[in-house]
Formats: sequence, structure tokens, C-alpha cells
Amino acid sequence: MASVTLKNIVKKYGDVEVVHGVDLTIDDGKFVVLLGPSGCGKSTLLRMIAGLESVTGGDVEIAGSRVNDVHPKDRNIAMVFQNYALYAHMTVKDNMSFSLILARRPQSEIDEKVGWAAKILNLESYLKRFPRELSGGQRQRVAMGRAIVRDPAVFLFDEPLSNLDARLRVQMRTEIKDLHERLKTTTVYVTHDQIEAMTMADTIVILRDGIIEQVGTPLDVYDFPANLFVAEFIGSPSMNLIKGVVEGGHVVTKGGVKLPLPKKHKAKSGQKVVYGIRPEHLDVGKGFAVKILVTEPTGPEIHVYSEFGENEICAILRERRDLKRGSMLELAPRLDKAHLFDAASGKVI
Amino acid sequence: MEISRPWRVARDFLAVFVTGIFMFPMFWWALTSVKPMYAIFDKDKIVWFDFTPTIVNYAVTILGLSRSQLAIEQGFGMGVTGDGGYDSRQTILDSAIVSVGSTALTMAVAVFAAYALSRMAFKGRLSYLNWVLGQRFMPPIAILIPLVTIYKAAGLRDTDNVYMGYVGLSLIYALMNLPIALLLMKSFFDDIPKDVDEAAMIDGATRWQTFRKIVLPMAKGGVAASAVLCFIFAWTEFLLSLFLTTEIRTVPVKIQTFVTSTGSEWGFISALGTAAIVPSFIFILLVQRHLVRGLTLGSLKE
Repeated sequence: MASVTLKNIVKKYGDVEVVHGVDLTIDDGKFVVLLGPSGCGKSTLLRMIAGLESVTGGDVEIAGSRVNDVHPKDRNIAMVFQNYALYAHMTVKDNMSFSLILARRPQSEIDEKVGWAAKILNLESYLKRFPRELSGGQRQRVAMGRAIVRDPAVFLFDEPLSNLDARLRVQMRTEIKDLHERLKTTTVYVTHDQIEAMTMADTIVILRDGIIEQVGTPLDVYDFPANLFVAEFIGSPSMNLIKGVVEGGHVVTKGGVKLPLPKKHKAKSGQKVVYGIRPEHLDVGKGFAVKILVTEPTGPEIHVYSEFGENEICAILRERRDLKRGSMLELAPRLDKAHLFDAASGKVI
Repeated sequence: MEISRPWRVARDFLAVFVTGIFMFPMFWWALTSVKPMYAIFDKDKIVWFDFTPTIVNYAVTILGLSRSQLAIEQGFGMGVTGDGGYDSRQTILDSAIVSVGSTALTMAVAVFAAYALSRMAFKGRLSYLNWVLGQRFMPPIAILIPLVTIYKAAGLRDTDNVYMGYVGLSLIYALMNLPIALLLMKSFFDDIPKDVDEAAMIDGATRWQTFRKIVLPMAKGGVAASAVLCFIFAWTEFLLSLFLTTEIRTVPVKIQTFVTSTGSEWGFISALGTAAIVPSFIFILLVQRHLVRGLTLGSLKE
């Protein structure tokens, strides 16, 4: 087990800089998720920790020592790839023992470790099979088994669930989290799926275009997004973002609708802002009038998409009510849950 | 999809028919090899099966019965020459040595070169590949005469030293095969995802261990396919063998000597031709169990 530290990491491909000076400390035993849209540099960061990509600038440290020039095989890490990358010509057992055989461990230890991993991952009856004879979820577990038998200092996961169907993804999510609870090995997990990030992480690192936008616990980044990007990226349906200008205790939007200012803010009068309110923080009550466009009942709640002025807004209502297209509804934002962002910088104010 | 019965019958019939067209020359060849002389040379009709099969063509070509012995047994001993000229046992051995040798040489080089071209980033990688392919653009006959001179100077002709002759012929076959084998092997290596290499490296494997224990076994179908192609090329090559060797006679060159000034020995030609299929057939049988597609199946998500 070990901590991982990234110090001012820069990555260039030729003249193109894709990671622009990332600083990050991952404490021993933590489950950290790197989250971001495709092309944000999250996989590149992970591969630099693994040693599969060279580091253009800055230092990667594992357990306090600089590993920039250390070969992947000497970093004491294990990685689970997006496409599993199993050894197709080897049985499940051989796949899992490969690293131990290379390390010249005694046969008894290999058998014991592989047996232990197979038991944890429910693969005991498949040890003699080849990867081609397994289902997607089983292959995924073999890839994880290959990682855990080694007792590595750090686990690296590169979008390991993105190729599984929805039901299996939920199940494997739980299994990976459970595994981490049991082994307590430092884990860096890359995904573009915010639900995965929210459910599994101790800490979420949100990346965009090679820079860190925000680092925090799942609920931190959900409740207190640092900027517009994070506000929009986290949460589904995403946060309502309404452009306007601060004028005497209100935000005046296009079309002249006045929204009350949040409880906490540092906005100045006349400042151009973006007003952020999550759909579930809108209640039916005295506020502003909207015209209903579409309603989507999901069972426990109803998603109501509506318009006011020239803005669109989504509200999530928990109580059942008769809502018809074209009818009017009055919505009140919870002022302790609303956010204000500076329109120019995108930062929260 | 369910296919209706008439269609299935038609499809099977077509398959058998097409296969038949391609197989017929081999069948006729084999049939001719067991025909006595009168059945081969019947100017009035085509002889299908109304003859007494004989093994004399095989006896002469691959069992070492001499032509004159055969003539005496058949009752006419006058004016028959070419005693040992039709004994082809050494020929088959020569062909086997050169074919196996050149295939081994080709694959030994191609496998490493292809791995490097597939996996390692170095300057001029693509131009290198084009250059390698360019080696095949020129027909061998264009370089034949300088080649003979070079071989003579380098002592690679069998007239100086028969062992060097084997080396020389294997070498030129290997050079002829290398571009194709290289290109084939590169595409097979390219099919194996790089993630697998990376997984092996993270598992603690060195570059060599990754190649030896992971990449090469996963590409063994490709190795087998390339080896078969190289072997067949060497086994059937005529021109270079004709020009570069004298003592060593490979099968195609030997068969050509059966066309003599006093007539073509069709019985012997077909017998040696048929017999020559056997070793290459054995070779292909040996490697064909590796010739299964989709060896990387299961390595990846689908």
C-alpha cells in the first residue's frame, strides 16, 4: 500500500500539450476517481502513473519515491484495462498466476494466492477455462483477479466497466467497492460515468482539457460545485443554469423574470451571472411562473421540463400531480441550495 | 437464419462442383501416375479406369529401380539409357532440406522484425515497410545473372561445396519470402491489442518475456500461416533453383529433366509430382492445427 503524488504533471504529444500541470495527492488506502469527458486527459494521467506513458514534465511519486523513470514492472502496481487485455492463450488460472510466476514465487504460494483471489471473485469453477469461454462479467473478474493476486501498492482501473451491460455494471461496481473495502489498497479509477464516480469514490477528481476543475468528496462536488463545468457535469438531469444580471436582490433573466438571490453569495449589483439550481431544489410554491413542456414520470418522481421567458428549466417533483402540456406552474427555488456563477470566469461566487 | 432444403442442396452441390474443378488436375495427375504406358499414350480414346494399375512409375522415381532394369523386365533391353537418372529420392530430400531450411530462416527473421515494426516506434518505420515490400517488385529473373555471379564469387554454389549449395539456395528463398512473411506477421501482431503487452509489462514481464510468453503464443496462428506460405513457395520454386544449383536438384527442376530429347516420361513426371505433394501435405498437416482463426478471441471485450 502506498500514497501516490503527482507534482505539476505535464504531458505533450509532439507540440500538443494534453495535460497542463496537474497536482494531486492520493493518500494511502483511498479510492480516487478521475472523472471527466473523453479527451480530458484522465486516461493519460493514469497511464503515466502506471509508467505506460512517459512524463513530459513534473514528478510522479509512489510511496514517496520518484518513479518517472521506473519501468512499469518495477512500480508494484496492478492495472485493469478497459478491454481487460487478458492473455487469450492461457487459462484463467495461468492468467492470474502469470505475474507470480515471473516473480519466481514458490508454487505453493501461487496456488494459495490464486485460490484466494478466485474465491473472492467467484471464479473457482472457471480456473481451467480459457477467456474465450467466459462471459463479459467473468472476463472482467479475471482481469481483476490478475491484479489482486499480486498484492500491489496501487490499483489502477481504466474504465473497467464501460464494456458491460447496465445490470452487470451496477453489480461489478458494488463488487469493486466491496473489494476495496476489504483490501484497502490505494486505488485510482478512471471513468467518464458520473454515477460510477459518485457511488464508488472517496475522492472525485474532475478533469477537463488536461486541468483539474475540482477535487472533493462525491457529495462535496455535488453540493458545492466550484465552477460551471462541474455544476453541469455532475448530476442527472443536470443543474439548471440560467443567465442573468444581478439587480437589487434578484437575478434578472432574459425575458425579465426575477429570481431571488441565493442565501450565500458575493455577487455585486450589475454583475453578469449564471444562476444555478438543481432540479430537485425547485418546489411548487410561490416563486416564478413556468409553462410546462414535457413531463417524464420515472416512478418515484416526475421530471418536469418547462419554459419561462426565454429560458428552459427542469424540476423534479416527488408528489404526484396532474400536469398538462401548456399549463402553468409556479416554482420556488430553495435559496440555501442555489448557486451563483460569474458569467465570464465560470467560477462560483 | 433457416435455409430451405432446395437451397441447401443447391449450395452443397455448387460447393462440391467448384471443389471438383480445382481438385481434378490433382486427381488426373495421381491417376496418370499409376497408369501403364499404353494407358497414358492412347491416341484413340481417353483412358479413365480401364487399365491395370501399376506402381512402376513410383518404383523408378522414388524406390530406386533403374530405367534399364525396368526395360529388361518389360522385355526390351536395347538402346535404353539414363540408368539412375530417374531416381528422385535425393531430389525429395534436397527439396525438403531447402524448403524447411529457408522457411526456418525466413520465420526466424520475420517474427522479430515484424514485432519491432508492430510494437516499437522508430524513425522511418513506415518507409522501412514500403522499402521491404519494394524488394518484391522486381521479378527474380531480372537479377538472376548478377545473382549467379555473386553466388559464384561468394562460394554459395553447390559445384564448389554441396553444403554451401544448400545454404545458398535456402538463403535466396528466405530473401524472396521475407517481405511477404514480414508483412503477414506484422498484421498478425497488429491484431493483438497493445493493452495485452502493457498488461504483461505491469505484471512484471520484460520486453523479451512479453514477446516470448504473450505476444508470440497469441500470434502462433499467424506464424503457422506464414510458414506454410514460405514452405510452399520454396517447395515449388523453379527458376532460381535451376540457375543456382547443379548437384542439388529440387523437385521442380528434377521433373523438368524428365522431358528429354527422346520423349517426355509422363508416367515418371506424374509419379514424382504426386509423390512430391506428400511432404508438403505432411508439413501443412503439422501446422494446420494452429491455423485456427480468432486466437485472440477472449482477450478482449466484444
